[in-house]
Amino acid sequence: MIQGLVQLFLFQALGELLSKLLLPMIPGPVLGLICLLTMLVIRGRTPEHIELVSQGILQHLGLLFIPASVGVVLYLPLLAANAWAIGCALLVSVVATLGVTAWTLKQLGRHSTEDEVHHAD
Amino acid sequence: MPTKLPPITDIWVYLSGSPLLALVLTLSAYLIGLTLYERSQRNPIANPVLIAVVLVAGSIQLLEMPYAKYFEGAQFVHFLLGTATVSLAAPIYKGWATLKSRFLPLLIALIAGGITSIATAVGVAKALGVDDTLVRGLLAKSVTAPIAMGISERMGASPTLTAIFAMITGVLGAILGRFVFNALGVHLWWQRGFAIGVAAHGIGTSRAFSVHPQAGAYASLGMGIHGILGVVLIPLLASLL
Repeated sequence: MIQGLVQLFLFQALGELLSKLLLPMIPGPVLGLICLLTMLVIRGRTPEHIELVSQGILQHLGLLFIPASVGVVLYLPLLAANAWAIGCALLVSVVATLGVTAWTLKQLGRHSTEDEVHHAD
Repeated sequence: MPTKLPPITDIWVYLSGSPLLALVLTLSAYLIGLTLYERSQRNPIANPVLIAVVLVAGSIQLLEMPYAKYFEGAQFVHFLLGTATVSLAAPIYKGWATLKSRFLPLLIALIAGGITSIATAVGVAKALGVDDTLVRGLLAKSVTAPIAMGISERMGASPTLTAIFAMITGVLGAILGRFVFNALGVHLWWQRGFAIGVAAHGIGTSRAFSVHPQAGAYASLGMGIHGILGVVLIPLLASLL
């Protein structure tokens, strides 16, 4: 548990360092993710302690962005003034994104016998 | 004479000065959110994080606690976001073998979806005259929140707005996905799953897992690579718009 956490912190620190020194446009934690992913691909498997900690953290990922999200209190007047328009933008956008991604796959994807099919419900 | 208890205001001053209050507030609101989510049979509308954000925001307004004061305490939770981002490597690696077998269609669909997400959100918002601060917050909203917030921060947009928009997007996507896919006649689980992961990140992915394991695995992959590619492509697209 602790071993996995320490390794994640090390990759996070490595990412921050790379972001500071080489790639300031990319957030440190994302560079840390890419470094860890590279290590996993090279090793060919996920070490058990990393698997354990990452599962634990990701299971409650939502908890971690509560503090920043509560900052919405500072934007309430602005959001209230634009509520309908923002609502429309989000709704149209998510429907279009779902549709375009799925439709593109349908055009490009080949049927493989292992694929399971959704039956209309 | 028994020793007098300190007046309640003194206790209050002590509590509000330590990180404890903000931490307890955050964690208990999240627990309430989770309980309601479970009670609703995991209905995406009862999103535990949205519920928690409403509860905490309401509480600090009632307590007249400035947001900066709250954040000072809650930053210990916030700090772990970076670590959580790094740990996303594990689920992405799980999908690696799958990704290799269908690399090109998945990549093309992801890029098409990613561009659609930004273009439609910004297009509609601008057409309806939305304030520029809010429009910038929309850019990264289809990417998983921890990465989306990082992208927003680097672009000088508000990470808070992005997190809120990402959550609403996730909830909408989780609810509407099946209707969109059925309307378009997309019936393969891997295609449905991947699309919901690209459009509605974590919330869509957990919905996909609850419907079908193959849909869940592809959703997780879609969310992961959208996160990684989004970091490069979203600032690039934003500079074009």
